[in-house]
Amino acid sequence: MGKMSHKYWERIRDEVAIWRIGALPGLFVIGLVILLRLVGALQPSEWWMLDFLLRSRSPESTDERILIVGIDEADIQAVGTYPISDGTLAELIETLQTDEPRVIGLDLIRDLPVEPGQDRLNQAFQAENIIGIEKVLPDLSNNTIAPPAGLAPEQIGFADVVLDADTALRRSLLETFTETGEQRFSLALLLTERYLAEEGIDLENGIYDPVAMRFGDVEIPYVLPNSGGYVNADANNYQTLIHYRSGEEPFHRVSMTDILNGNVPEEWIRDRVVLIGSRAVSAGDLVRSSAVDNDSSGLIYGVESHAHVASQIISAVLDDRPLLRTWANTWDYVWIIGWGLLGIVLSRVLASPFKTLFALGIASTVLFILCVVALMGGWWLPLVPALSVLILNSAGLTAALFYRHQQDLKAKIYDRQSVIEHTFDAIHNGPLQTLAGIMRHCPEESYSRDQLYNELQKLNHELRMVYDSIQQETLLPNQHFYVCNGHSFDLQRPTHELLHEVYRATLNRPFQHFEPLKVKVVSFQPIDVRILSIEQKRRLCRFLEEALCNAGKYAKEMTRLEVTCKPQAGKILIRVADNGSGIAIDSRLSAGRGTQQAMMLAKQLNGTFQRIPNSKKGTICELTYPIAKPWF
Amino acid sequence: MNCTIVVIDDHELVLDGTVNLLKDHYPNATIQIAQTRQTGQTLIEQLQPDLVVVDLSIPESEGATARFETGIELLKFLMQHYPTLNIVVQSMNPKPLVRLKPMIDDHEGGFTIADKKLRRDEMLTKLDMALNGGTYLPKEMKLGLEVKPEWLELLRLAYQEGLQDKAIAKEMNISDRTVRNYWTKVQDALSVYPEDNQNLRTQVGIRAREEGLID
Repeated sequence: MGKMSHKYWERIRDEVAIWRIGALPGLFVIGLVILLRLVGALQPSEWWMLDFLLRSRSPESTDERILIVGIDEADIQAVGTYPISDGTLAELIETLQTDEPRVIGLDLIRDLPVEPGQDRLNQAFQAENIIGIEKVLPDLSNNTIAPPAGLAPEQIGFADVVLDADTALRRSLLETFTETGEQRFSLALLLTERYLAEEGIDLENGIYDPVAMRFGDVEIPYVLPNSGGYVNADANNYQTLIHYRSGEEPFHRVSMTDILNGNVPEEWIRDRVVLIGSRAVSAGDLVRSSAVDNDSSGLIYGVESHAHVASQIISAVLDDRPLLRTWANTWDYVWIIGWGLLGIVLSRVLASPFKTLFALGIASTVLFILCVVALMGGWWLPLVPALSVLILNSAGLTAALFYRHQQDLKAKIYDRQSVIEHTFDAIHNGPLQTLAGIMRHCPEESYSRDQLYNELQKLNHELRMVYDSIQQETLLPNQHFYVCNGHSFDLQRPTHELLHEVYRATLNRPFQHFEPLKVKVVSFQPIDVRILSIEQKRRLCRFLEEALCNAGKYAKEMTRLEVTCKPQAGKILIRVADNGSGIAIDSRLSAGRGTQQAMMLAKQLNGTFQRIPNSKKGTICELTYPIAKPWF
Repeated sequence: MNCTIVVIDDHELVLDGTVNLLKDHYPNATIQIAQTRQTGQTLIEQLQPDLVVVDLSIPESEGATARFETGIELLKFLMQHYPTLNIVVQSMNPKPLVRLKPMIDDHEGGFTIADKKLRRDEMLTKLDMALNGGTYLPKEMKLGLEVKPEWLELLRLAYQEGLQDKAIAKEMNISDRTVRNYWTKVQDALSVYPEDNQNLRTQVGIRAREEGLID
């Protein structure tokens, strides 16, 4: 039970640790993205995404309720004057009126008369189904533009537009107030109102939202300063998002000449909203919108923008075509945080980088499709911030996972390397030495059959011991040092005691040059003034074992062996000195495994290793390292 | 001899035997006994005895199992804290003591190891040796002829330079007592013991030359 709950707690602790590493940055990323959104840094990208999604919709059918009569360059050429005269305009209106349109919108500035034909135009203006325009909001030069003189006040709508910071037209101003505080409706709203009035639907106040404008059961959503992707937008008065009608032919478009020549089918005009406006680039009535798919570098004629607005409201009321709306801000952030958390969870639960990337792909696609589907239903959801947190979190954590994966791999390689080294050490310091001894005796035939058999048996035993020692030293967490004849010493004991044990165990091994050895001058003093790690102690033991083995193998006619382990002049000295006629510096030795081990150990301890000739005869093999541990 | 002796052994029979032997041999001695490491250590700390006779395999405290590790730990403690304490270790198997060899070599008090099966007179010899600061380690504990560099220096100064102990102490910058201690270590290393009833220094000189410790 105790063990179980301990394990359980350990798992929780591990998980918390991972979440602390993985989730805190994730939460930070969510916070950062939200902050960026709040300060408006994401606004351009959200606009771009909205335009992109709107542009990518499949084409809608042509709105048969609206006809655009554009005065284009050809018309101007045909008439020969610009602006076209009041007379020509009156003729156009009269011709249209013969087919009884429901309402005519005149999206042309006519504050001043353009003779000839002013009287005729004023006459035409007597018809109640004509709506003209004015500009009520002061422009840069603080000017407004008056409506045509011949129109009654209820026949005048404003044509003012509200542009976003990137100069694109995404919102339509439906109602505003003049500088003198008079309420005004836009041209598009008036056209809509007139059109729907005939259907018996009047403009009223909202039921759910009393502030909203309502036609039947459709309440027109209005823009707030922070609606959707907007940050601190100028949302004064009544603005609604423009849900542009998609497709290359949202409305029938004809030219003035087409009308005057009677080239337009009667049913395109009868009972329709007819919008007369400029479709000549030279007239300059253009606005930018990337939400409609056109090839004139994102520009559309002003008259078309009014058509889109009138069309969207009429279609909403009569066809249930959705109006473009946004969530309350709270839901925006719930949505963003939700996707951010999903990003964190994905990478944590799946753990594998490849799976996470795959899941990220799926999740992003799902998010995208959700937003597209929502937009089809009229909802503009925060796609960019949600996608940002999702990708940053799962990809960021994935990157961290990749890193961890790599670290694991490195650790594995290191482990494997150390097993290989251990194996080699165990073979090298044990059976290989015995084998060397046998081989040295063979040419001299100094071994009897029995002796040879004994030696081979020992070799057999030592080889079998290799496995045990590898397993014990590398595979299991272990604090023992194993010498090849089966002894093991607890590495937690003082180092000088360990080295003494190694010395005794090694001296008991049957190396040929240990036989004539008479005197051992030994000195084992405590050297743990510098604390060594278990692994360093193990290596020190290996070093001494190796040095003694070398003396036993190569120090011919050795009579005296000095083994020293003591502090001396600020350093720890570990030395094996023989007086045999062996090889002081043998190429086999210096290139050998033992030398490598010793060099590595010396480097690790910030000390030095050397093998030098003894004063008269023999070899000194010594390792020194400073008592003071290096500061780094 | 007027001295204080502490005997630590968990076997009452052995304890009695040892105590009787000691009483016979040193009638004026104060003899205290302990059966566990803890009581023994406390006694030693209180009495500061001249001689401690320790069984290697003793229990840590009342009721605990006798283990030789406990004896080893006690010996380590005693040698660390009382560098001149005379110690006799009673043990059938001296092998576990091997790990203390470097420490015993450095110990400045007497240190002898006595097999429990020793005859009475042999046992007394070991007791006397230890009480006199001598050293005796059985062959199994030695790895042939094993000496410390300091002992070699002593031999060189004594036999090649012909120096007296006082001069040697001065030369080596050690106390007279340490010089005497070195001699007992060298004697033990060369297996030259007082019972041989010969001139010790001469014997040591001969053996040292035989073994090549001095030229």
